Amino acid sequence: MTAPQLNGAPLEYAIRIRGLTKHFGTQLIFENLSLDVHAGEILAIAGGSGTGKSVLLRTILGLLPFEAGSVEILGSDFASLSKTERVKIERQVGVLFQDGALFSSLTVLQNVQVPMREHLNLPQKTMDALALLKIAMVGLPPNAAYKYPSELSGGMRKRAGLARALALDPRIVFLDEPTSGLDPIGAAAFDRLIQSLQRTLGLTVYMITHDLDSIFAVCDRVAVLADKHVVREGAPMDLVRDPGHPWVREYFCGERGRQIAKAS
Amino acid sequence: MGMPDNDAVLDRIIEPALRSAEERGTRRLIVSGDWTLAALGDAQAAVDDFEASHGPAHEIDIGDMRRLDTAGALTLIGLRDGKAAAKTADFSRARPEHRILLDEIARAAPAAYEPPPPRAGAAVEILRRFLSAATSIGRDAIRLTMFLGETTAALARVVVHPGRFRIKAFTHQLQQTGLSAVPIIALVSFLIGGVVMQQSAFQLQKFGAETMSIDMLGILALRELGVILAAVMVAGRSASAFTAQIGTMKMREEIDAMRTLGIDPIETLVLPRVLALIIALPLLVFLADMMALAGGAVMAKLYLSLDTDMYLQRLNSSVQAKHLYVGLIKAPFAALVIGLVGCLEGLSVQGSAESVGTQVTTAVVKAIFLVLVLDAVFAIFLSAAGF
Repeated sequence: MTAPQLNGAPLEYAIRIRGLTKHFGTQLIFENLSLDVHAGEILAIAGGSGTGKSVLLRTILGLLPFEAGSVEILGSDFASLSKTERVKIERQVGVLFQDGALFSSLTVLQNVQVPMREHLNLPQKTMDALALLKIAMVGLPPNAAYKYPSELSGGMRKRAGLARALALDPRIVFLDEPTSGLDPIGAAAFDRLIQSLQRTLGLTVYMITHDLDSIFAVCDRVAVLADKHVVREGAPMDLVRDPGHPWVREYFCGERGRQIAKAS
Repeated sequence: MGMPDNDAVLDRIIEPALRSAEERGTRRLIVSGDWTLAALGDAQAAVDDFEASHGPAHEIDIGDMRRLDTAGALTLIGLRDGKAAAKTADFSRARPEHRILLDEIARAAPAAYEPPPPRAGAAVEILRRFLSAATSIGRDAIRLTMFLGETTAALARVVVHPGRFRIKAFTHQLQQTGLSAVPIIALVSFLIGGVVMQQSAFQLQKFGAETMSIDMLGILALRELGVILAAVMVAGRSASAFTAQIGTMKMREEIDAMRTLGIDPIETLVLPRVLALIIALPLLVFLADMMALAGGAVMAKLYLSLDTDMYLQRLNSSVQAKHLYVGLIKAPFAALVIGLVGCLEGLSVQGSAESVGTQVTTAVVKAIFLVLVLDAVFAIFLSAAGF
């Protein structure tokens, strides 16, 4: 694997979170949470249900406010940026939501072109070629381009969502449970796809996942959310050797975890 | 490997460029700058320029190129496979990450140029739509009749086992479709009653028969206006609400979940709504009747200087109670049609959010149309029967 770098530009951290504190009403979600996402790595975010994995993703993306701390994406503090500077950062970021979040009134091709239309001034022919390329890259058959999201299976919707997330050649891709709801073969294929895209495009991948298979197969590091902050982070095998937290131990050193760790 | 690049995000773009170099008889194409999405227009222009002005190159040197992304890679592959390069030409001095990307894109690209599926000609398309619209009327009639049957069967089951009736849903719907509709229906009927009174008094004055306008309003309001106004308003309010509620549940697979849990959606969703409407609409029609007559009374006072006492006396002597019954008897049937159409369209929703919108529109249009048709059928039938 190549050293952390972004398309020829050395940048140590793609995302840097320091001292993040967030409440929902009176309920404390994160307390003094810190996390680094290295440039060019695939980072898995694991944690039990209700530990705030999706909330953290939304907070990083600026969809949810937070009370204290800082979130830097590609070296810029999102909160302090002007609207135009924010858009520049947003163009470097692609997000795959859990069920694809495709616009249901648009075909897959049009969905992939939405960010291009919004941010770039390209002739229709070029947009078609680029969008079809992205659709082919995520492994969808060409005829899927002219279908509506409701005509696709769950796995195909995820691929289409990924194609849209990749439309602007982002530097960071956020994936919210990319393999959940896929059959094991489809999930493994999706893992390989993410890994090959990460290698070819030099992406930084931030991936929420429960899937031990994908953690061991493709992730460089895992960060585990529990007790309102990141309790452990490190290479998957290191966490297996030294869990250091009851939830991590149960997760990685349970029967399933041991088998998968042994196999990889 | 990378060049120093401190402000990685907001940095300047180095313009993509092509130049040609001749060495020992082979022509080399030297690529430089950023070949990325942000500079795609310039990159394509450079390629077009080059193709127009230079002969084929044997080698494409991309060693000095700074950045490459999928859009740039696609352009470069277009360059390699185009006129500006010889058939055997390939990329040279590629950095490993560029080489991987180019290979990956080249592998995906042939599939990328699939033509869009062919469309039928405009005339054929228009004809096809016309035919499908025409046949859909028949299909809709059959569907609605079948749905009426299903609902009746559900009603029969509930009559046999009264414990299964969803009393809470029923009262909730009664409030939503009935009580909440009171202000708007009262206001609209009052206004329309007043307008009819004013217009007819104005016209009949020419014959000195302005008091006849009271007879006219009385009969018109009780027989037709009240029921049509109330039914159209309810069709707009409640048919749309039924379709949206049930449609959203259908979209989120809640209807399927109910079926698998052994709960009959017709019994739990459709029956309380339809029954609530059948109870609520006659009451609303009665309200509309009274408000229209009240509007008439106000206008009679203003235009004909007729006291409310006199107005009521005239109404009492010239308008028989049967006109009221003729109006009211139509209400439960209109309610049945509105409720059935609203629920059926809701159950016809397919996967997408757009589908909910389409079905809601269809439900309102169909419900209003059917209410008017029903009213016409009743008018003919009841006059023939001597009411």
